[in-house]
Amino acid sequence: MKIKQAVVLALVLGFVCFQSSRAEAAESSGTAAQKEGKLIIYSSTDSASVEPLLQDFKSVYPFLQVEYNDLNTTEMYNRFVAESASGSGTADFMWSSAMDLQIQLASKGNALTYASPEISALPKWAVWQNQAYGTTFEPVSIAYNKRLLPADAVPQSHADMIRLPKEKPDLFKEKIATFDPEKSGVGFLMMTQDAKIFPQFWDLAKVLGSSGAKVYTSTGAMLEKVGSGEHYLAYNIIGSYVLLRQKKDPAMGLVLPKDYTLVFSRVAFISKTARNPNAAKLFLDYILSKRGQTVMSEKSLIYSLRSDVPGNITAAGLTKELGKALKPIDVNTDILAGLEQNKRLEFMKQWQAALKR
Amino acid sequence: MNRALRSLAVIGVALVVFGPLGLIFYQSFLSEAFFSPTAHFSFEAYRYVLTDSGFHSAFGTSLLVSSGMTLISVPLGSVLAFLLARTDLPGKKWLEPWLLVPIFLSPVVLAFGYVVAVGPVGFFSLWAKALIGRVPWNLYSLFGLVLIAGLTHVPHAFLYVSSALRSLDPAVEEAARVAGAGVWRIAVTVSLPLVLPSILFSASLIFLLGFELFGLPLVLGDPAGLLVLTTYLYKLTNLLGVPSYHLMAVVALSIVALTFPLVYLQRRMLRTAGRFAVIGGKGQAFRPLPLGVLRWPAVFLLVLWLAVTVLLPLVGVTLRSLVSSWGEGIKLSEVLTLDHFRELMVYPNLVRGIVNTILIGAIGGALAVVFYAIVGLAAHRWQSRWVSFLDYLVMLPRALPGLIVGLAFLWVFLFFKPIAPLRTTLFSLWIAYTVVWLAYGLRLISASLLQVKPELEEAARVTGARQRLVYRDVTLPLIRFGIIGSWLLIFMMFVREYSTGVYLLGPGTEVIGSLIVSLWGTGALDLISALSVIEVGLVGFILFIALRLGVRLHA
Repeated sequence: MKIKQAVVLALVLGFVCFQSSRAEAAESSGTAAQKEGKLIIYSSTDSASVEPLLQDFKSVYPFLQVEYNDLNTTEMYNRFVAESASGSGTADFMWSSAMDLQIQLASKGNALTYASPEISALPKWAVWQNQAYGTTFEPVSIAYNKRLLPADAVPQSHADMIRLPKEKPDLFKEKIATFDPEKSGVGFLMMTQDAKIFPQFWDLAKVLGSSGAKVYTSTGAMLEKVGSGEHYLAYNIIGSYVLLRQKKDPAMGLVLPKDYTLVFSRVAFISKTARNPNAAKLFLDYILSKRGQTVMSEKSLIYSLRSDVPGNITAAGLTKELGKALKPIDVNTDILAGLEQNKRLEFMKQWQAALKR
Repeated sequence: MNRALRSLAVIGVALVVFGPLGLIFYQSFLSEAFFSPTAHFSFEAYRYVLTDSGFHSAFGTSLLVSSGMTLISVPLGSVLAFLLARTDLPGKKWLEPWLLVPIFLSPVVLAFGYVVAVGPVGFFSLWAKALIGRVPWNLYSLFGLVLIAGLTHVPHAFLYVSSALRSLDPAVEEAARVAGAGVWRIAVTVSLPLVLPSILFSASLIFLLGFELFGLPLVLGDPAGLLVLTTYLYKLTNLLGVPSYHLMAVVALSIVALTFPLVYLQRRMLRTAGRFAVIGGKGQAFRPLPLGVLRWPAVFLLVLWLAVTVLLPLVGVTLRSLVSSWGEGIKLSEVLTLDHFRELMVYPNLVRGIVNTILIGAIGGALAVVFYAIVGLAAHRWQSRWVSFLDYLVMLPRALPGLIVGLAFLWVFLFFKPIAPLRTTLFSLWIAYTVVWLAYGLRLISASLLQVKPELEEAARVTGARQRLVYRDVTLPLIRFGIIGSWLLIFMMFVREYSTGVYLLGPGTEVIGSLIVSLWGTGALDLISALSVIEVGLVGFILFIALRLGVRLHA
């Protein structure tokens, strides 16, 4: 009896100590952040969808003045490297959907090593050396026009993407849109992952070519044209954008391919030369926290990463629906193989050839 | 005084032009980013770009697009300018402000407006399809691109030529008329040849702008697989994974190299500036030339141009801002909504973006014109090699494509330490804009200056006025309409400009252009359309008030 009590007591005490030390750690970076008073973020997530997150973050840390720079991924990269090199100060916090560029920056020593207290709640593949963190769990989907594409012609898998346009060439002629891997880094990343996972990827590419698919540089243009019926479906679209669109256009359909669904994650890191590193730590902890991830899923309609956040627009929701078919793109240096010049040009060449038939 | 002014102008312009350009030149001979510690001297970038077949075909397409659009916009713009400035065209007061719409609308939005109106499933295309069973045009073609680029650049030619025409002494036209020439003949043989400097300036600028086009080819050319130099440049930012600055620098310099033959040609054709001085000592009341039977065909021409160039995209954009979805299988009456405007009202930073845009346009534009006027006066009646040096110089920044000029200015403000503190202020944005539109503003002012006959200034000098007084009391008042005209033009350029300042903008300095780009990323084209409608309304309102208050576009 006594032993049991002692064990329980010890456990409770240990837990309390652990909790309080955790709280202390947060406390101390909180005080340091208060001194900094400011946080500079470069991000490719647009201001409108990030607004709920920022509002909630500010309500927790009202003493921080957040400077949020909404840039496209290339601009972000260009700005960061030049500012770092000139030594005149740059972003404290970098948050971008160009996974490869982010990892490249981190691997070249631009990221601060910081073990977020939230790490234990994150999947292993989403953290690289306590420097770069995946923050979202976004399925790469097929968007289609419900009004114009008959139900039996909606592809449910990658195999369907090969089969259906072959079966119904007239229906699909010039009606498929996808990323131009030559001009879009995100598009390139998705296609190289496809090629890795899906053995018939090059058949798929050839079908895209023979059906006269059009290639684009922005998700926005593709979704707009799927909505209008200039195209019927768009291949390899980040699911979160389709959700945003569905809010306004009931005819926008979303398919998560059943055979496998790539999962893409916006990558964040704290700049090594950050002037406000503590504020940046608070923000990283916040967006990885249950609270932040819940806001992300519910208000910003971005698929959240943590498995303990309930709902549909979450990792848990997706896992329930797709289980093992989910194929996350790991946040690690494997991704950099795609930046290797010769391999990259080789891929582009093959893509060009496939598209031209 | 004059000497000091002149050296100051040459040195000042050289500094602001060679700063960014020099960096790009230097960058083109390196193996990677110039600030990278491992960068070394190399011709690799030249070797790669100049032997890349993609570059050759993109250059060819650009050349075609540029020449085509110059051939469309300059003659049409000149004729429209003559009609509005010199004749009794009915309703011209009301039509004129509409002419300027394509100038301040962001090119991506303009292109998108065309997609909504006459794209494969555009509103008008679907009507045409319902009527005759097919869509008789293809927006996504080289022809479509050239035509739209040409038509939407008519205002550039128009503004130059008409401001020159307004200060033309009516006596010369009157003489031709008395001698029995018809209106058309007067236009072609008297008025337009007299403003040849302005026509040529606008032609070479439009030609350069053709190489610099980005939004139009991206939206209209991409689906057809058309690659122009700027979209090729865009490809280079991604092709090798990380932006390849050295390759981009080489492509940018290839466009810069084009300015030399262009300016040379222009200078040859204008060797004797004295021929064009027609603001003489004797004033004469201006009476519009009667168009006679040409009256209605002329109105028709103007209205047709307005319909295709202004109405079509504007209707497209406006419709898009009022519907939740559009295209094939949609009934317009079921999708009408004002939601996008409501949503926009709560969009973060919107109000600040609008205010900043107007500030940079109105005040920044005015300051820029002051700078242009000073440089213009410095070069005025100066027989020197330095003037030809200036002629080449001012064209250079405009030849840099938007994608790279923004980077160049970021680099300048980062790595030239004395001006580094300016980077985070609107002042850096102002400098960048002013430099990029240098050729534009300066040409407008120097074209007006060319028209002042020396006799007027000499008269002042003979009566004992010093140079400064001559400028203040004679020269400047005579070209005041040119100055006001160029301010309005620069205002609109600055309102639309985005790419030049993209890396200098931050929270607090947002402009409408940056909001549009950020919305474009997520595909919020409904919001972009609503924002553009607000922009058109706003600039239109300002124009209207300005005209009401007696600011006249021209004399």
